[in-house]
Amino acid sequence: MNKNKMLVSFFIVSESIFFLMLILAYVNFHRSVTEGPTAANSLNPIKTGVFSLFLLASSLTIWFAGISLKKKNHKMLCTWLLLTILLGVTFLFGQGLEWVGLIKQNITISRNVFGTTFFTLTGFHGFHVTVGLIMLLILLGLALAGDFKGPESDAVESVSIYWHFVDGVWIVVFSVIYLWAFL
Amino acid sequence: MDKLGGVFNASSPEMEAMVDLTLFIIIVAVAILGIITIAITYILIRYRRRSADTAEPRQDFGSTKVEIVWTVIPALIVGVFFFSTIKTMYAVNPPFGDREPDLVIIGHQWWWELFYPKSGVRTANEVHIPIGKKLLVRLNSVDVIHDFWVPELGPKIDLVPGHTNHIWLSASKPGVYLGACAEFCGVQHANMRIRVIAETQEDFDKWQEEHRKIPPTPTTGEAALGAKLFQEKACTNCHLTGVGPDLTHLSSRQTLAAGALENTPSNLVKWLKNPEKYKPSSYMPNMKLTDVEVNAIVAYLEALK
Amino acid sequence: MSRIPLVPEITEPLPSIRESEGLLAWVASIDHKQIGIMYLIATLFFFLVGGIEALLMRIQLVRPENDFISPEVFNQLFTMHGTTMIFFVVMPFLIGIGVYLVPLMIGARDMAFPRLNALSYWLFVLGGLLLYFSFFTQSGAPDVGWFAYTPLSEKPFTLNKGPTYWVLGLLATGIGSVASGLNNIVTIITLRTPGLTMRRLPLFVWMILVTSFLLIFVMPIITSAFAMLLLDRLLGATFFMPATGGSAILYQHFFWGFGHPEVYILILPAFGIISEVIPVFSRKPIYGYEFVAGSTVAIGLLSLGVWAHHMFAVGLGNVFNAFFAIASMLIAIPTGIKVLNWTATMWGGKIHFATPMLFAVTFLIEFVVGGLSGVAIASPPIDWQATDTYFIVAHFHYTLFGGSLFAIFAGVYYWFPKMSGRMPSERLGKWHFWLTVIGFNLTFLVQHLLGLMGMPRRVYTYHDLPYWGDMNLISTVGSLILGLSVIVFVWNIIASLRSGIPAGNNPWNAWTLEWATTSPPPVHNFDLVPPVHGRRPLWDLAHPDMPDK
Repeated sequence: MNKNKMLVSFFIVSESIFFLMLILAYVNFHRSVTEGPTAANSLNPIKTGVFSLFLLASSLTIWFAGISLKKKNHKMLCTWLLLTILLGVTFLFGQGLEWVGLIKQNITISRNVFGTTFFTLTGFHGFHVTVGLIMLLILLGLALAGDFKGPESDAVESVSIYWHFVDGVWIVVFSVIYLWAFL
Repeated sequence: MDKLGGVFNASSPEMEAMVDLTLFIIIVAVAILGIITIAITYILIRYRRRSADTAEPRQDFGSTKVEIVWTVIPALIVGVFFFSTIKTMYAVNPPFGDREPDLVIIGHQWWWELFYPKSGVRTANEVHIPIGKKLLVRLNSVDVIHDFWVPELGPKIDLVPGHTNHIWLSASKPGVYLGACAEFCGVQHANMRIRVIAETQEDFDKWQEEHRKIPPTPTTGEAALGAKLFQEKACTNCHLTGVGPDLTHLSSRQTLAAGALENTPSNLVKWLKNPEKYKPSSYMPNMKLTDVEVNAIVAYLEALK
Repeated sequence: MSRIPLVPEITEPLPSIRESEGLLAWVASIDHKQIGIMYLIATLFFFLVGGIEALLMRIQLVRPENDFISPEVFNQLFTMHGTTMIFFVVMPFLIGIGVYLVPLMIGARDMAFPRLNALSYWLFVLGGLLLYFSFFTQSGAPDVGWFAYTPLSEKPFTLNKGPTYWVLGLLATGIGSVASGLNNIVTIITLRTPGLTMRRLPLFVWMILVTSFLLIFVMPIITSAFAMLLLDRLLGATFFMPATGGSAILYQHFFWGFGHPEVYILILPAFGIISEVIPVFSRKPIYGYEFVAGSTVAIGLLSLGVWAHHMFAVGLGNVFNAFFAIASMLIAIPTGIKVLNWTATMWGGKIHFATPMLFAVTFLIEFVVGGLSGVAIASPPIDWQATDTYFIVAHFHYTLFGGSLFAIFAGVYYWFPKMSGRMPSERLGKWHFWLTVIGFNLTFLVQHLLGLMGMPRRVYTYHDLPYWGDMNLISTVGSLILGLSVIVFVWNIIASLRSGIPAGNNPWNAWTLEWATTSPPPVHNFDLVPPVHGRRPLWDLAHPDMPDK
């Protein structure tokens, strides 16, 4: 295995444990919230579910970007990268809407343990999406400047691994926060 | 040996069981240490390099048979340790079922609130128990984590805010058993001491009976002025509300400020004049009392038996 | 004997150290050897600071009811002493010496990611600066103990900024450690010279590899707990505040989930040093290589499932405690295997008592003391007495000082010639050794008794109970002797750097690859890497008639 991809792979192992702890904290407190806002009475699963689809779709588009790279199709690579970024931004926008909506109802990180665990978990995930978007923007910039002629690029493949990971974490987070409360 | 205290003076059936286990494991451990030390010393002397000798020794890479032997032997020892551990654990800490506690201990920064639910007695920092009886103690904390530990009477247990613990407490002979908070709890962790006064059932009943009664407020002399000042100087804001220790029978206690000072009238005077000197950063404020006021309050507190 | 050139070429440009001069040459360096040495210098600095903190505490405790320092300062001292020694001395020393040695031992030119390596180092320095900056804030350094239990470390109970700096400092070094772990793993997997299979890897490298996996598994646990604590303190979150629905015990699970594997992070590379030193000075290969390496992996795995033996007094129930008791006791088995293999390595050897070997041999005994007291307190009924007393203080100093630090001294004396090109003074080395052994045992042996007699840890004062004053006096005298030993150590380093005898490539006649190059090694490490057909390439070169199997 190539050393750059190996580094990213072990890095996301480490990152997974970080998120596992945040999720454990959420799960630990899930049942202890007896009054005030909870996932069930203050979140909007449909809206966030729809925005989640954008993030899921971005995993597909970055996969296509990788295929374009292999096929040395530079133009399509740029297009798929751009699309990935747009989908990621849309997801973040959705997260922003959710946060603003909650804060307007005075549901904040300091309100109760639900607020604490919810904002921490989604906040750290959003932070990781943001970092991913910055890396994607750099990739796109380099690609537009003529880099990544293919068929291989550690940079594109490493960011892709990371992006799939961010997506995977969201599936777990969404299941734990939204599906658990509403199903 | 009992002058040494701690494990050297086990004074309850629980602690005796714990000391038996401790002795057993420590003797085995010291034996192992002795064998290893002797073996290493022997090897070091026998196989030291003689200066004239420059040839390399026989190269030996190991033996699976030997490795198996010294894996199995420690495993057996660990097995024995674990078995005796489990036995002792359940002997010291049997389930308490739905029994109501005989004593409730609530940790505060840096003193102990004590409450006997069956008699309604409230006191602080000095636990009275009858000998030969197993009391069920419930423990909790109002602020940070503390830890109740009276070494000669058995295990220590944390007082955790938001988490209730139970422990069995008993003493087999009368005496004063010193203890302390064992979990670091802030500036005055060192001066959060506790003592258990184990006495005969008769003495305990007498103590409990006295502590049930609220002593009459003095109406004459210095003590009466003290009683008035105790109200006016806002002492009651803490000492009647559970923020500070209950002082209703203060003069019957052995120590002040959770073991920081011996309880004598002169120490009480010193304490009231300058608590910062004897227990720095504790929540007992310096009320800037005049000498007359201090003496009056001391007279009042001394009258509370 | 034919030599083949270094094969895994690094395609990136070579480290830039020799291009720039002066301070920039250090700051901008991405050479693993220079970064390794910078780690060692920084840890020596923190070691002196942490040592002074310890001496101040021992002076305060020299007699009952002493008032040499205030309780506030005492509490800051033990917090900073513990944090410093663990996160800014032992851990970065072992990472640093690993960074220096791993590429040399596997015949590589540098780490897989030299820039990431530099980032790890500078994050560690940043963490140290953040931590110590707290001394300059109005209320002083953190004073909540090195495990900063909640809710004591939360806002309502600790209003000063100490714990915030503490968390920020440890977050920075923690992220740096994860990067080091990742870098080591990739380096060891991908950059080994041809012939150097995993079964031929020097044991030191094996231990660094297992440690690196522990780092990437457990640092994120504490990173998340610290993030939560920081959110509690800064934004009013309520993770660990029971009064507003949080849990004080959850923090303890997180902290020890990291904290116990952390002690193996602190000892496994030390085991690695011992596994290199003892064979060379006994003139024999390590006894039972596979078992020493395998038991390391076993310890690494077991260490992930024993955290709650720090929580026997929390009141989590007999079944829970029993599980963690047996898991903790099991660790004694692979640890015992190691001690016995080291002992067997010396059997039939020709033991040369140079300073590294003196420390390594004494390590065996001191560490066994700490290991055996560790088995005892893995038993909950014993721990119910011992935990949070001086018995525990004695126990972990026997493992961390008698263990890790003795091994570190062995390693410093062993590799000093390689790093500096000069031999350390044997005379000063022996003075250092004997002062350390005497001072260490005087300081900590009596603390076992103090604990069993009922002295809690972390108290700034104690009553005049029978023998308490005497034993504390002995302990303080011991600590002063230790202080003296450190002066001799520093003196030895400075004097030997200036006027030590030139070492040559391989002064100890050792067998691993770092001794095949010059002392100190050139920037590119090797002109030629010797062929590797076994675990001891330099033995095979010197004894073509009887090579290792």
